[in-house]
Amino acid sequence: MFPESLNFSIRKPINHFVDMLVTNYGSTFRAISDAILQVLLLIEGVLRGTPWWVVIIAFMVLAWLGTRRVVLTIGVGIMLLVVGMLGLWDQTMQTLALMTMATLISVVIGIPLGILAAKFRSVQRIILPVLDVMQTMPSFVYLIPALMLFGLGKVPAVLATIIYAVPPLIRLTDLGIRQVDHEVVEASTAFGGSPMRILFGTELPLAMPTIMAGLNQTIMMALSMVVVASMIGARGLGETVLNGIQTLDVGKGLEAGIGIVILAIVLDRITQGFGKPRRFK
Amino acid sequence: MKTNTLATMVFTGCLAGLPMAAQASYCGDGNTLTFAGIGWESGDFITKVMETIFAKGYDCKTDTITGNSITLENAVATNDVQIFAEEWIGRSDIWNKAESEGKVQAIGDTFAGASEGWFVPTYVVKGDEARGIKPVAPDLKSVDQLKDPAIVSLFSDPEEPSKGRFLNCPSGWTCEGVSTAKLEGYGLGDSYTNFRPGTGTALDAAISSAYKQGQPILFYYWSPTAIMGKYALTQLEEPAYSDACWANLTDPAAKHEAACAFPSVKVAYGVNSEFAKAAPEIIEVLAKATFPLDQVNASLAYMVDNEVDAAKAAEVFLKEKADIWGAWVSPEAKDKISASLN
Repeated sequence: MFPESLNFSIRKPINHFVDMLVTNYGSTFRAISDAILQVLLLIEGVLRGTPWWVVIIAFMVLAWLGTRRVVLTIGVGIMLLVVGMLGLWDQTMQTLALMTMATLISVVIGIPLGILAAKFRSVQRIILPVLDVMQTMPSFVYLIPALMLFGLGKVPAVLATIIYAVPPLIRLTDLGIRQVDHEVVEASTAFGGSPMRILFGTELPLAMPTIMAGLNQTIMMALSMVVVASMIGARGLGETVLNGIQTLDVGKGLEAGIGIVILAIVLDRITQGFGKPRRFK
Repeated sequence: MKTNTLATMVFTGCLAGLPMAAQASYCGDGNTLTFAGIGWESGDFITKVMETIFAKGYDCKTDTITGNSITLENAVATNDVQIFAEEWIGRSDIWNKAESEGKVQAIGDTFAGASEGWFVPTYVVKGDEARGIKPVAPDLKSVDQLKDPAIVSLFSDPEEPSKGRFLNCPSGWTCEGVSTAKLEGYGLGDSYTNFRPGTGTALDAAISSAYKQGQPILFYYWSPTAIMGKYALTQLEEPAYSDACWANLTDPAAKHEAACAFPSVKVAYGVNSEFAKAAPEIIEVLAKATFPLDQVNASLAYMVDNEVDAAKAAEVFLKEKADIWGAWVSPEAKDKISASLN
């Protein structure tokens, strides 16, 4: 047995800290929460308000622009049609809105952090272990305090999704920029490019396939969070899965599970398509 | 030599078997007594108490399997779990079906006087001078008044601001279906979102968070619970219970045009029927083991105030309240349990 005299616990201080935050700063967090919620509701309103066939056509156009493959484009259309026929259209749009919001914020946070990590070794040394913690900490540990601060529902779900999903984007942005050929960068420097120009004109474009792979991973990980997000009241496909399994309605759970898989395949193929370097333009 | 050994083995085998047969007991035969690891506090506490009683007093190998109530009820029907320590009888379709098929049965009363309903924090009605909270709905008494647009806007759902938010049970809990039916029956479906928090923890966290910030919140809750002991909550009045109304509410396929209060509840130990036949000595204890409701509330409050888990609260209860649980068990078991605690 481990000697009890060496025990120490951060349990009570942490509990009191969270209590204090909720009691004294609750309104501040609510204000942040409302701001995020407004944007999210806007995205959701657009997605749920648009007729279903317009959404499907929009996805097919995106798939075509990304891949230029006829079969894949038609496949995307059919798969989304299946989601609708399973009666999951509304839930899918809610999940899509949540994902879009989480991905947008992830890009805003992830790419600049990735660039910083690539440029400064010290930043990288701090960021990498933090990313490890973010990816391994069980999400319920931060979901419940997030819920107490930001209220039940979509906002804590978006935040938790970002915490889990942003690491690959940061890692791969960092990696992509580091992998850019030094000679190319040296040549740009020799031609008198400023550091900003080299970054935006040379490094980022060359790193783009890697960064897109990171974005693709971020979207996939965000999708894997939808069921966890539903445990704190985020509606959408995750809630249907949760409801299905919690009531032993295996069929219902599987239907919604298929919906999540379809959404994943569609988003994966489209982002991968955009990520590949285009040979024929 | 070989035959000799065999004979000896058979002989000793018989000898070893004889005393077993003489005082055949479920645990004595090496069976593991598996409890349902119920997620809510009172169930958790009671399970821990009963587990200790059987482990220490009756030499049982015990185990607890966690899960949500429907999964665990199903496990009792299949005898993977033997005891569900806090079964709210008549609430769950899965349980009712298993009971009518004779696979499970209810033993004794876990506690008497449990209640459930729709609640708002008392400061919504009466205010809280100490915290500087003004009463925002001083006339709110019953569910009929929830339709009033002023009340609806009080409980406004940030995700759908035109509607109020009713915080239901997590999906998969039996009360979720009933509260959903009630929402429809009271004609509140259009003015309130039926918000399911996903998990019991999320429900508790949402209530605590709102309470600490003094915000209005409308939710389903039940007693005995730590939340009920810790916070001042007011139950909204509902039309009186009737069997016909309840039958309608519990039928998910029916159309709900009216609704009524939850019936008073019988809470018992749910056990597997085969197990009950095999373990009369355990059933005998369960039949007597009724926790006084105020004792359950006190233990739950103890858990919250001292930030300890159910196992610790169970230990304290067993140490200090031998007069309560001592009456449930045999004198020898009582001595054994007491001895194990010191």
